[in-house]
Amino acid sequence: MSNHTGVCNYCGTGCGHLLKVEGGAVRGVYPSPEHPVGKGRLCVRGWHIHELLASEDRIAKPLLREGGTAREAGWDEALTAVAARLAGYPGDQIAFWASPRASNEDTYALVRLARSVFHTPHIGLLSDAGHHASSRVLLDGTGWPAMTASLADIRQADFILIVGADLTKQNPIVASEIHFAARAGAEVVALSGRTTQMARLATTHLRPKPGSLATVLLAMARILIDERLQDADVLSRRGGFDAFRAALAGFDLATVESRTGLSPEALRAVTRRLAARRALAFTAAGVAGPDRDTAALLFDLFLAAGKVGREGCGVNPVTGISNLRGASDMGAAPDMLPGFRPLPDTAAAAGFEAAWKSRINARPGRRVDDLLRDPALPLKALVVVDHDDEINLEADAVRKLDYVVYLGAYANPFADLARAVLPTTSYAEADGTYTNAERRIQLNRRKVEPRLEARPAWRVFADLAAKRGQDWAYRTASDVFADIARTVPAYSAATYEKLDRTFGGLQWPCDAARPQGTPRLLAADGGRLSFVPIPADPARPALGDEFPVALLAGTSTYYWHQNNIMRKTFIPRREYNALLLLYPQGLVEIHPSDAARLGLRDKRPVRVVSAKGAMTVAARVTDDVLPGMAYAPYFIGPMIPGFLKPHAADIERGEDTVIPVRIEKV
Amino acid sequence: MHILPRSGLPRLVDALRERYELYGPVLHAVSGDPLFEKLDDPAALRLDAPIPYNTPKAAVFPHFEEILRYAYDRPAQAVEIVRADLVRAKALIGVRACDLTGLACLDRFFLGQEFVDEVYRDHRRRTFIVANTCLGPFPQCFCVCTDSGPYAVEGYDLNLTGLDDDYLVETGSEKGAELVARLGLAPAGTDAARRRDAAVSASVGQFDPAARDNKAWISRAVNRLTTGFVKNETWEFIGSQCFECGACSYVCPTCSCFNIEDVLPAAGPTRRTRTWDSCSFEGYSRMAGEHNPRRPIEDRRNKRFFCKLSYSQSKKYLRPGCVGCGRCARVCPGDIGLPNVVTYIRRETTGR
Repeated sequence: MSNHTGVCNYCGTGCGHLLKVEGGAVRGVYPSPEHPVGKGRLCVRGWHIHELLASEDRIAKPLLREGGTAREAGWDEALTAVAARLAGYPGDQIAFWASPRASNEDTYALVRLARSVFHTPHIGLLSDAGHHASSRVLLDGTGWPAMTASLADIRQADFILIVGADLTKQNPIVASEIHFAARAGAEVVALSGRTTQMARLATTHLRPKPGSLATVLLAMARILIDERLQDADVLSRRGGFDAFRAALAGFDLATVESRTGLSPEALRAVTRRLAARRALAFTAAGVAGPDRDTAALLFDLFLAAGKVGREGCGVNPVTGISNLRGASDMGAAPDMLPGFRPLPDTAAAAGFEAAWKSRINARPGRRVDDLLRDPALPLKALVVVDHDDEINLEADAVRKLDYVVYLGAYANPFADLARAVLPTTSYAEADGTYTNAERRIQLNRRKVEPRLEARPAWRVFADLAAKRGQDWAYRTASDVFADIARTVPAYSAATYEKLDRTFGGLQWPCDAARPQGTPRLLAADGGRLSFVPIPADPARPALGDEFPVALLAGTSTYYWHQNNIMRKTFIPRREYNALLLLYPQGLVEIHPSDAARLGLRDKRPVRVVSAKGAMTVAARVTDDVLPGMAYAPYFIGPMIPGFLKPHAADIERGEDTVIPVRIEKV
Repeated sequence: MHILPRSGLPRLVDALRERYELYGPVLHAVSGDPLFEKLDDPAALRLDAPIPYNTPKAAVFPHFEEILRYAYDRPAQAVEIVRADLVRAKALIGVRACDLTGLACLDRFFLGQEFVDEVYRDHRRRTFIVANTCLGPFPQCFCVCTDSGPYAVEGYDLNLTGLDDDYLVETGSEKGAELVARLGLAPAGTDAARRRDAAVSASVGQFDPAARDNKAWISRAVNRLTTGFVKNETWEFIGSQCFECGACSYVCPTCSCFNIEDVLPAAGPTRRTRTWDSCSFEGYSRMAGEHNPRRPIEDRRNKRFFCKLSYSQSKKYLRPGCVGCGRCARVCPGDIGLPNVVTYIRRETTGR
């Protein structure tokens, strides 16, 4: 049999695919019709993943760079050098940057290495900015940091609210499930100022002004309580309700239209339908995602309406990258231990010290990009796994570091900045588990031999630990997973043997009480739900005469999963280039009425000026955006230092964060 | 016509195995997915499996195929080109009539026009085909509407039709006749053709009534596509649901679009590689100077349906480009497989 079952490694949907292996190499891909997630579908990226896996553009051998010259090294020499160099820094001067594309085993070993061998709490994760807010809201409100429903609930729901995200681009097969639900009669409400394909497929498209998503949700919550549409049973048993109601009391519904552009009548109608039906909410998580206030309001609204933990109901951040969920579960965060235990937590720390037979650094650390942006640059050394174009944002800081180690499968500009480069396996060359947005742990078996000298990252980390005198006894990926099951309660009843037997995997929590996993959270233990704090008056965009236009920055619309990786494929690369060829200097979307007023023409350059930066890009005149709104879907070339970098913190706050700008004719 | 007892199928398979690599329908050991696969173990062959999710086209027109290597010797200013000789002789066993018709369309595209594709020709010259009559349709099937099943009339070396404990074996080529003689199969009785026709008729009777009773379902769409009467709003409605994944082309037995890339390894000659491609991609029709005759998605979408159903395109294939296998409907994230598109086009005139 030449087709081998596996899990797509691009987005967090976790579609099952069949990789065709011929002559020891991957030579094709096909969707698996029996797989519970994809059910025989893949998106444009998934249909071409074999092109990436066949790429010759790999990191071939360990490389050490000394005094400006790079040379190939044997594994043992490279590991000895890296371990000795890193041991020379105090823990608070080293940071580890994990990859949301790596397996659970790889990231768990990275976290163990960071906290127990090099004693640093500074563990970052690519894309954590767009993911952290919604995870933390759900952790506080339910005890679990992830999607409360399953993707299978989509076809059980008859009301689906999509806040912000264009899932057709970010998680196309989730969007496909929603589209099928709509065709079968479910109402799909898209809440998005911009007309995306998801909005076009929706039955109802509500277009709030930029920066007002949180206010819209606040108004809906107010309507729900005013009209006594709340779930009485839920409210009697949930903590935090009084604070929730108090926050709503201060909101004046009469202001909603001026603040959001949506009428109270329209919101009343939608809120009534939401309350009456089996309702699901979706947001993006990862590449982009809602800010903390929006995530909190969405959760509280659904909790008050009784739409959490029931069939066809739930609040669902959809992870944009394959193992973002799992990497977070494994503790790739400065402020959490594996198993989503927020720090400080002395009991959990003691547990890990016992399990790992080593003192650990269990202080809360700082985010890696914060450390790199700190003018004092408190970092000296950085270990990076499989990162990509976002290096463009931080390259200057990385160049100033004393020592950088890069681990990855594919050649990458980041590797040019590293003093040690270690080749790791592609996901088809090693056993590993990956956890999708709906908490589904899937075992992806090795299908081809590691290319050249590549090794699984977990093994590299275990070898580095051994160089520092710790024997982790990890001989296979299964050994690492057994350690995960010992220390992460939600994974405790999962084993490689069981995952091999269960096509499509198991959804956590998978523990002694739920050995076959849990498709829908809280169906049984609803007692843990509580309201999370919400703002009484969400932030309003500070537009004024000087900067009258509300710009939203999109990082996800044309995010094709590490564009460095896309450049190693044939057809996705061509499609990505087709877009860039149309607007090689980048673009900003503006409404025809604004264009007419400013005398701007389509495809002509305009200057976008904010209080912190400026960029010259092409105008794309379209009524996909609202009057007074501008949208920059991607950043390229001079847009990055000129505009993206000074606004990085704004953009990371959430996808609905407004940057006030003015647009000038060039 | 000859008779092969069902219990004698392994003899046929073993005889083919002596000369060919074997491909056929199997159920995947892990997922249970029905696939048309290379048979490492001939016992895995499942002629009764549901219609495979993938098409036999991949055996003669692979998803990803190295077609030649070249090396440039800079000092000598010489280029050495080596044709990849990777084509092996293959026997495709259990090819259903729809997929066999798909191969006929591919033959006319790759071999039947002024330019002959040598790589495809090498595959096809070394292919032995055992067709298999569909004795019951699957839910998505509509080959009876596209004149491509459930019984194959041409293009095979051998054609099997299951009749009780036997297969009726029909011969379509000298290679097929030679194999029948080598196996010493018994001639079929005088009523074999009648029994075969009854079995095929019973199969046709099981198709969805919409497919069986309304032959105009497809032909009306062919008419409107050919004459250009499909309204723009219909194409926009269809285009708005397209996720631009390329799946419809990749699973289609007749889609022949391909892309060529030169892969440069760290050492050694450059490998020229051919992969599947799809006309639904924006980059597919982009030309030098950024001109693109087909920019909006609805425009690219309708191109594919013109290719499948318009009369001008059908003249090239000598038949419609759709073979009624229904795979595009199963893989489409936007639910705009060809049957739905035909329905939307028909609704313009019928209102339902």
